[in-house]
Amino acid sequence: MATVPTPEPAPTATVDAPLLDAQGVQVTIGGTRILEHADLRVEAGRLVAVVGPNGAGKSTLARAVAGLQGISGGSVRWSGDAVSDLRGRELARRRAFVPQRGQVPAGVTVREAVQLGRAPHIGALRRATRHDQDVVEESIVRAGVSAFADRFLTTLSGGEVQRVQIAVALAQQAPVLMADEPTAHLDLGATATLARLLRGLTQDGIAVILVVHDLALAAAVADTVVVVAAGRTVATGAPADILDRELLADVWRVDAALQTSADGHTALHVDWLHELAAEPGAGER
Amino acid sequence: MTLRQTTVLAVAALVALAGTVASLTLGAVSVPFADVWSALTGNMDDGPLKTIVLQLRLPRTIDALAVGAALGVAGALLQGALSNPLASPDVIGVTGGSAFGAILVIVAFPNVISLVPLSALLFGLVAAATVFGLAWTGAGGGSIARLILSGIAITALFSAGTMALMTAFPDRVNSAIFFLAGGLTSEGWDSTKAVAPYLIVGLVLAAILIRPLDRLALGDDVAASLGARPRLIRLGVGIAAALLAASSAALAGLLAFVGLVVPHIARMAGGRSGHTFVVPASALIGAGLVVVGDTLSRVILAPREIPVGPLMVVLGVPLFIWLLRKAV
Repeated sequence: MATVPTPEPAPTATVDAPLLDAQGVQVTIGGTRILEHADLRVEAGRLVAVVGPNGAGKSTLARAVAGLQGISGGSVRWSGDAVSDLRGRELARRRAFVPQRGQVPAGVTVREAVQLGRAPHIGALRRATRHDQDVVEESIVRAGVSAFADRFLTTLSGGEVQRVQIAVALAQQAPVLMADEPTAHLDLGATATLARLLRGLTQDGIAVILVVHDLALAAAVADTVVVVAAGRTVATGAPADILDRELLADVWRVDAALQTSADGHTALHVDWLHELAAEPGAGER
Repeated sequence: MTLRQTTVLAVAALVALAGTVASLTLGAVSVPFADVWSALTGNMDDGPLKTIVLQLRLPRTIDALAVGAALGVAGALLQGALSNPLASPDVIGVTGGSAFGAILVIVAFPNVISLVPLSALLFGLVAAATVFGLAWTGAGGGSIARLILSGIAITALFSAGTMALMTAFPDRVNSAIFFLAGGLTSEGWDSTKAVAPYLIVGLVLAAILIRPLDRLALGDDVAASLGARPRLIRLGVGIAAALLAASSAALAGLLAFVGLVVPHIARMAGGRSGHTFVVPASALIGAGLVVVGDTLSRVILAPREIPVGPLMVVLGVPLFIWLLRKAV
């Protein structure tokens, strides 16, 4: 296993403040309330999975805490500092963000892409140092993309592109890595590879926030799941504790049960064709 | 930078240099290079040859190099910032605005014909400013689609104005054709000096934007999460490209093809699309293409001149097609 790009301590971190503490986050876009009231916390070495139905506000929550989307209420603090007080590059040293749909440009190699991850550490008039190059190489190895580091992005498979995106984020050396649906279009094998990679990062002390709709995957990799439904975080806790039949019925309107075994296997047993009786207000609480 | 990219830069620089020498020596009157050299170094006695070199050919050559470099850089910046291979100074309205500004003076106020470059520059910048104003205000401001659609709308508006002017003064349309086709003139230093400040500001801004532009490569979200400001970068690119393209139109009329094609030539020849390579390569290739094209336009039917715009299309298209077929 390669050496790990060590997260650099956040410059003005308040001692003992959680890496991320978001409370009562509210987002309004064009007059429409997308997020009503959402909480999200993460500590070093933990993996938090944000789950919920399509359109519940998972991605909006992720973008809002990442500082990519303005908030209309609540508070978002990175190591004690309000997100609105952090300038772009300072914020980029506290969290890396892998977006849902990354652009895949022509004529750019994997290594060149990963070098972009150093941007927050390189001043406007400075060149990349030997240290920057070392971090880029470490990130390439850590994300498992060294075999094709000199190929163009346009020649890679979907799973390979996602690992390159993770490598870009690792090069940022932020203590928190956020990924928005990184497995959305991947096959089983590529999904498992990515899951092992993200879980492995927590052992290196990195906190990971994973927005994901696959509940079996979330249950397998996450220390904590945060359930978002209709713009609110409705449940937070260990996957086996909170993803019970009632919650699945309430939030997703399906008759399903999550099974987790001690050896790490997880499965979602779904009665696909069984339509639950409509309960007024269910899933909207 | 790879060997291939260094080679592309070196070859482009050599072509531009050879074109410069040819432009200074060849024309209706051939001036031996030794005489050009002594004129440039101030060792020549006053006389017609000295006037030809210093007052006619030198400013024209500098114009050609500057116009080519400016259009190449403007195209490279816009294609990078808009993630769109079809982007050229046309899309931000500059070309349409400059054409209107020039034709306005040429057909409606021919007694102040010397104001053509200034009017082209001014209206080019006004058109671009209108496009940015439309594209950056309101919901979704600063997005690529808003910018391109605003550009198309404003270009259509100014083109209609140009057509209206040409219809209103049909007997003076002939003199407008040269500007629309694109071509340089041997009219001394006045327009070069008037346009130089805008050109220089545009080039400096372009140099500053090279690294921020690379950060847009993986999309706005990645750029923003890395601490860059995509919309601000795009606005900067728009301003730089507007200054460069409007200056070019002021000096050489409409040569939009250069801005579209040169960055593609740079990328296909160099095999990379990083802006630390594409922007300087586009400047050198553009400068070489225009200075060679302008020299040929004076030499082919000397002493008559053919407009360099169409000639450059004839020169550029085969090179472009050859590279396009090679690039897979």
